[in-house]
Amino acid sequence: MIGYAGLTHLGLVSSAAAASKGFDVVAFDPEPDLVARLQTGHMPVVEPGLPEMLDEQSTRITLTADPAALGRCRVVYVSVDVPTDDQHRSDVTPVERLVHLVAGRVAPDTAIVVLSQVPPGFCRTHQAAVEAAGSRLYCQVETLVFGQAVARAVAPERFMVGCPDPAVPLPRALTSFLGAFGCPVLPMRYESAELCKISINMFLVSSVATTNTLAEICEVVGAEWREIAPALRLDRRIGPHAYLSPGLGVGGGNLTRDLATISHLARQYGTEAGVVEAWNANTQHRRNWVLRELHRGVLSRPGPVAIGIWGLTYKENTAVTKSSPALELIARLRDVPVAAFDPAARLDREAVAPWLRIAGSPLEACRDADALAIMTPWPEFSGIDPAALVAVMRGRLLVDPYGIIDAHAAARHGFVHRRLGTGSAR
Amino acid sequence: MLEHHDQAPTPPERVVVLGARGFVASNVVGSLDSAGVRVMGLPSAEVDLTSPSSVDALRSRLRGDDAVVFVSALTPDRGRTVATFMQNLRMGQHVSEALAARPCAHVVYISSDAVYDDEANPVHERSVCEPSSLHGLMHVVRERMLLETTRQSGTPLAILRPTLLYGARDTHNGYGPNRFVQQALAGAPIQLFGGGEERRDHVLVDDVSRLVSLVLAHRSEGVLNIVTGTSVPFARVAEIVVELTGQPVAIQASPRANPITHRHFDVSATIAAFPSFACTPLRAGLMSMIEASLRAS
Repeated sequence: MIGYAGLTHLGLVSSAAAASKGFDVVAFDPEPDLVARLQTGHMPVVEPGLPEMLDEQSTRITLTADPAALGRCRVVYVSVDVPTDDQHRSDVTPVERLVHLVAGRVAPDTAIVVLSQVPPGFCRTHQAAVEAAGSRLYCQVETLVFGQAVARAVAPERFMVGCPDPAVPLPRALTSFLGAFGCPVLPMRYESAELCKISINMFLVSSVATTNTLAEICEVVGAEWREIAPALRLDRRIGPHAYLSPGLGVGGGNLTRDLATISHLARQYGTEAGVVEAWNANTQHRRNWVLRELHRGVLSRPGPVAIGIWGLTYKENTAVTKSSPALELIARLRDVPVAAFDPAARLDREAVAPWLRIAGSPLEACRDADALAIMTPWPEFSGIDPAALVAVMRGRLLVDPYGIIDAHAAARHGFVHRRLGTGSAR
Repeated sequence: MLEHHDQAPTPPERVVVLGARGFVASNVVGSLDSAGVRVMGLPSAEVDLTSPSSVDALRSRLRGDDAVVFVSALTPDRGRTVATFMQNLRMGQHVSEALAARPCAHVVYISSDAVYDDEANPVHERSVCEPSSLHGLMHVVRERMLLETTRQSGTPLAILRPTLLYGARDTHNGYGPNRFVQQALAGAPIQLFGGGEERRDHVLVDDVSRLVSLVLAHRSEGVLNIVTGTSVPFARVAEIVVELTGQPVAIQASPRANPITHRHFDVSATIAAFPSFACTPLRAGLMSMIEASLRAS
């Protein structure tokens, strides 16, 4: 039996994945209200496929707010999401609380595995207290990707497990569980595992920043990034799954948190991390691409201007709006009538942007708009015919960084279409 | 980045412009005056900011509800020496002392893009200040003086950093639009450095005044570059000047003395601060300058 303590996004996806491999699961959270909502099928997160999988595995999963239920488990994951502040710094307090709560409730020799992303040094700091309580502490690198979390949890590429001493074999209960996923298991010391996730994310950020740098060059020299990217994917040193789609900088909470962590560590220990500042500068520059295009196209014209926005989340298939380019854009359009539609965002409009009008549909968001900015590439937006936009919009500017709308179809209907990485974008 | 203390534009009670006879300041005064804003221009003949006596002279003229626009400086054409640098610093010292003695409602300092590293590209408001000239260093130090002074009094300070300026009544005759127009109107060939390949951002002085007015009306605080966001080669500027003046003058290249450098700006902060503001396009700005020059002659 496998336990999960902390039923945020990470804990729910991981619980469902464990059950899908045939394990009985105790899914614990100290918040009785959250557990009660989950027991009635109310999901606190947006994740494609998760409600269905939890429903399918419901007989194997025991949802509970009673930590004593974890006493039956030989492996307990601490799986609470780590919150970050407005400076992208992690607050590991919820993880610490759960580690100590679990350590006091489980059977001797139980493996407590921190699945939450914690900074280097966390496990070594808490190792003695957990061992004094009779348990053993490990950490495991989570590679949850919002929007693709279920598929990645069921079929992970590998497991990276942080141990007090990687020369000592992992507990049998843990190896048995991990073996069910049929992928390599890489034991390493605590600090390596804690830095491993950050390392993965730094390589992703470097790809994003490099792609965005080159996409901007494409825009000014008349090149087309979509013609270049396939050639890069066929290069073995870069690979078919590389992050080669231009975007509005690095978004979301995880990558920005890791950038902040590396900057902090570099300052603390005096290592050179100027490249992180360069990535951040590139993000800030590309983040404003839509604003510059809107200004060039409509905002700089005399007379009133209205803007429609599709998408508020930082990427598709999630409800997360933290570090969202859309919200940054809206903050800059305080004096401009702006209406927005998003299929999933949970937004406290009054707190974030009281001047924003939330529309009930994509077409309502761009009614009488002079320009439409498509800030999140939700799949459903691609099915909207530009002819329908002609009927509701006043202007003919589509700022479409991800190319959701077909450029040729847009042009046929008289739209000026702006896309990242395309030579016509300036 | 600027932050507005007044989201809705509110005319200042009175604006005091220091260095009021200069190229930029006189335009600012005229622009504010035309807009019906109460403005008091203080030329150096009335308050000589290089003199210690200017502290009392300025303090006695200032009111607590004034907005002060500080434009005065000995520009590089008046000397690039250490002595000029120190004169400029003394002006900053005297203005700071007057503002400390008589805090005002708002201070706007017209600095320069010379504060940035010549190699920075694209330049934005977060770019490191690493001036390569005494003139740029002078502006950095003055910015610091004013920041310290206004921080202690709690007065909002806006630092505006214009790049290359052009416009009617420019007395500097610097390389670029001003000189090109004068050469063309005089029927003389336009002389380029090298082939005029360097790309620069050229701002019409009227746009500086428009931005200053917006900053005053919103009581904005922070740093903003005054740039168009579009950099063009000097050779292209010369071509436009020839075309607009209709003068059959030659555009002459010269042996290159220095390597080609370019300067581009990220204009996002200006759009964020004033979404509907747009600088005058170069062609239109040059046309207005040529027309003004012809009227004046």
